[in-house]
Amino acid sequence: MANIMPKRRLENIGLGITGACVLLVAVVVVTLIFMVAEQGLTTFFVDGFDPIAFLTGQHWIPEQDMYGALPMIVGSFSVTLLSTIFALPIALGSAMFVVEVAPGFGTRVFQPLVELLVGIPSVVYGVLGLYVVNSFMRMVFGASAGTGAGILSGSIVLAVMILPTVTTLSIDALRAVPNEYREGSYALGCTRWQTVWHVVLKSATPSIMTAVILGMTRAFGETLAVQMVIGGVERNMPTGLLSPASTLTATLTSGLNNAVAGTEFYHALWTLGLILLVMSLIFILIIHLIGHKGAKQNG
Amino acid sequence: MFDQSCSRRSFLGLAGGVAAFAGLGLAGCGSAPASGSAAGGADAALSGTINCGGATSFQPLIEAVADEFMTENPDVVIAISGGGSGDGISGIVDGSLQIGRSDVFAEEKVDDESQLEGLVDNQVCIVGMGPIVNANVDIDDITTEQLAGIFTGQITDWSEVGGTAGTINVINREAGSGTRATFEAAVLQGAEVPADFTPVAEVDSSGTVVEQVAATEGSISYVAFNYYETNEGIKALNVDGVEPTQENVETGDFNIWAYEHMYTRSDEDEATAAITQAFIEYIMSEDVQSTTVIEQGFIPVSNMQVQKDVDGNVTPVE
Repeated sequence: MANIMPKRRLENIGLGITGACVLLVAVVVVTLIFMVAEQGLTTFFVDGFDPIAFLTGQHWIPEQDMYGALPMIVGSFSVTLLSTIFALPIALGSAMFVVEVAPGFGTRVFQPLVELLVGIPSVVYGVLGLYVVNSFMRMVFGASAGTGAGILSGSIVLAVMILPTVTTLSIDALRAVPNEYREGSYALGCTRWQTVWHVVLKSATPSIMTAVILGMTRAFGETLAVQMVIGGVERNMPTGLLSPASTLTATLTSGLNNAVAGTEFYHALWTLGLILLVMSLIFILIIHLIGHKGAKQNG
Repeated sequence: MFDQSCSRRSFLGLAGGVAAFAGLGLAGCGSAPASGSAAGGADAALSGTINCGGATSFQPLIEAVADEFMTENPDVVIAISGGGSGDGISGIVDGSLQIGRSDVFAEEKVDDESQLEGLVDNQVCIVGMGPIVNANVDIDDITTEQLAGIFTGQITDWSEVGGTAGTINVINREAGSGTRATFEAAVLQGAEVPADFTPVAEVDSSGTVVEQVAATEGSISYVAFNYYETNEGIKALNVDGVEPTQENVETGDFNIWAYEHMYTRSDEDEATAAITQAFIEYIMSEDVQSTTVIEQGFIPVSNMQVQKDVDGNVTPVE
């Protein structure tokens, strides 16, 4: 009997510590959402702006009290989608090469190389984008490119930034496909290409989708690098791939430096933060849904 | 199910991201308390810490002056941070800063002027600014009306202002920038920029403006005088035939200039007030104004023969 009490006490201490960790995380998340929502909703409930007009307004001009978030929403989504379109084929191609063609080289040389890309701070990508990508745009498109800043430049820089995330996760996805599938396919007389395309890729699709969404989440939330190359123009709708634009994150960061707490401009910026938060919640939800579906399919 | 669809690496990455985001959020709410703790008596040496944050345009000047001040008062720490004019005014309003720096009058930054009760406006120096163009643009002189036309999108080709034909690429500062507010107040003179006018870029700092103007054919923008010599790819323009020099700003001939403000509170506790007061007096002293201020490219207040009020009205100094 004497031994049982300390054990139970130990158990309780363990429960207390781990429980406190969970509680702390939960409190942080809830506080965060509450804070952003409280400030962000002020725009509608106290300053009296119409939520629909805020989301669909085509001009963001704080000095004229025009707060329309559509230019930034369009900007954010177009750079996110474009960068994914640029990055995905390259990521899938190299993942196939690493897993199916040359596993030895892949694990020893290629993967560490790609992981190195993850560690590079975004400001470095931004500076490179500013000097390399933007000058390249000016060279190729001449006067119509202006400073070279625009949606296309932003997408190219973002594509390079999300490439390692998407590649690494795609490699994991392809690796997770059981070898029996491949052997079965070969036994039926399929070529390597047929095996990779019809069997491996197909059964890895849910995990690859997760890779893509995670890449998109990163692209959507990236601030500094995009801000440096996209041009930062949010007062008007972007009209083409070369036209300067802005993203939700970029406008939020550059605006907060100049906004005074308690003003309409300041609240409007928090509303942008709220939109961002909702968007990332949606992304995370999609990842969960895909995970569910994949788990069901694979049994 | 999460573990299955997502490797451990990505989970850690995600968790790290969330933690970093949460950390930032929390740091954002904290406000540093004033910790001035001077012992009483006018002769006693100053001691304590004050926070000075806000506009980055004259931060190098304030850092240089604060270094000298702290050498003379070894027990005083002046913590200097950036953040922008908005941050400077927010900080002095909510008390997290003891000195808030701004490029523009605080009245222009807030919706509700009752927030500004108890603030003291210390104008420590003047900054002049003017239009710059890419070095290949073949004009040297421009009128205020032409500038207004360019920055509202009415004039779009260099041939309309006496140059060789070519598209005018307008590079602006971001909305809310003090430099932009000063330039637009002096040049547009009340005219509103139409909503459908799109500049080729809106950038976050004067350093970037200079780089982008140097790199972009046919571009025009504006910066403070102290950025003029930083790049050979840019050219400063005369406005209405007046050269953008410190002398012309002092006489009032060149109209694009602004005060650099250091806001303090009149209801600060005695110990803190002693330090902020001493520091502002130090900056305003003849010694500092005639050396450090000028070396850093700013104009001493005492040299000015004209003054500007909140609404931009210029009157001679009595």
